[in-house]
Amino acid sequence: MAIPRPSRSRTRLAVLVLASVTLVTVGLRDAPVVRDVREAASTVVGPVEGAADGITAPFRNAWHGITDYEELRDENERLRQQLAGQEDSEAGEIRRSDAEEQLAQLSAALDLPYAADVPTVAARVVSGPRSNFSHAVEIDKGTDDGVAVGMPVVTAAGLVGRISQASGSRSTVQLLIDPDFRVGVRLADRPELGTARGRGRGEPLTADTAIDLDVEIPEGTGLVTSGVDRSAYPPGIPVGEVTGTREGSGGLALDLIIEPLADIENLSYVSVMRWQPAE
Amino acid sequence: MVLAERRRHTLLKSTLILLAALFLQVAIVSDLEAFGAVGDLLVLVTVAAALVDGADRGATFGFAAGLLYDLVLDTPFGLSALTYALVGYAVGLVAAAVGRSGGWWPVALAAAAGAAAMALYTGIGHLIGMPYPVGELPRIALVVAVWNAALIVPVRGLLRRAFGRREPDRVRLAAFVR
Repeated sequence: MAIPRPSRSRTRLAVLVLASVTLVTVGLRDAPVVRDVREAASTVVGPVEGAADGITAPFRNAWHGITDYEELRDENERLRQQLAGQEDSEAGEIRRSDAEEQLAQLSAALDLPYAADVPTVAARVVSGPRSNFSHAVEIDKGTDDGVAVGMPVVTAAGLVGRISQASGSRSTVQLLIDPDFRVGVRLADRPELGTARGRGRGEPLTADTAIDLDVEIPEGTGLVTSGVDRSAYPPGIPVGEVTGTREGSGGLALDLIIEPLADIENLSYVSVMRWQPAE
Repeated sequence: MVLAERRRHTLLKSTLILLAALFLQVAIVSDLEAFGAVGDLLVLVTVAAALVDGADRGATFGFAAGLLYDLVLDTPFGLSALTYALVGYAVGLVAAAVGRSGGWWPVALAAAAGAAAMALYTGIGHLIGMPYPVGELPRIALVVAVWNAALIVPVRGLLRRAFGRREPDRVRLAAFVR
């Protein structure tokens, strides 16, 4: 019996695996070359994605009609009831107050109380995450509108994420639920600082703090960005509220479990704060 | 001479198929969310390539498909390339070991490979410090498996034509097993 010679196939696999491991290593160090290549790829793919949006909208709607059937039925039922209620009362009056309500909501969205002295750019979210493991969305404003990498992205409710990539007319927003996302936070009424990090879709954020274990943090306590010296975010942006606490990994301080305030799953309009950390 | 030309053609067609898969993925499939997850055409073409042409081509296709996908994502660069290359290779080996290409085999294999790819991705993610939530994995794996099962037969047909193979190469598979 002949001695089996090493198969060409296995050599090729070894080369490919080595190549990818090298790429992962280079990528993890946030090498500028990786960022440049990705930016170039995004400028090619972005417009195609945008153009396809209009064409595929009917299919997408049909798809959501099927997959979100339950939700749509509930909403339909709710609207029916609302309509029935309106017929009883003075419909015109209700419509007027509804319009006022909408106006108030829109004004609230445009007027961010915590960003009074920071200029903002309003943007539409044009596409959601591109893969099951991606935690980024695309918006329709880019460097032409003054958006730059690193700027905080918010809604009226609070922090959404930060600009991770920007081209001429589009940018990518890294959402705060990304496992790679970090933000310095502070409890609204306490001096201690902490770092909040994302843990993926459908999971709350966690923050490690310097708060003693015996301190009682009531549920619903608000957290804001700490904005300490050279922070990547301005101070006072609402991040989330505490839904629980647990012992930190060192056993000396508390970890907080935080529910983000902004509705990350259903973003349609966001504001980019044209703020950059002081050098 | 003829051989070199055919090889060039295969390369060109493969590139076109990969680019088409990428654009369809980001423009359409990524928006069709069901149970909080989406299908993955890049892993689908990887599995199809491995089914048509064995572990060697599967690994290469997986690497190229993953690398293209990585270019437009914000996830760790090279992670998809690594995962899909391994999956392509494994599918090629399993297909050769099974030695059958008809019936429900490719459908079942494609579904299992899709689910395995997502699990592998999450696993390697954890190793390199990206703790993707494990609780989400079953849903993601299921959705990717269903997409793969639904589309594997036509995509395999497409790749068979691109690689210029009318029949699955049983002789080669048999030689590989031996």
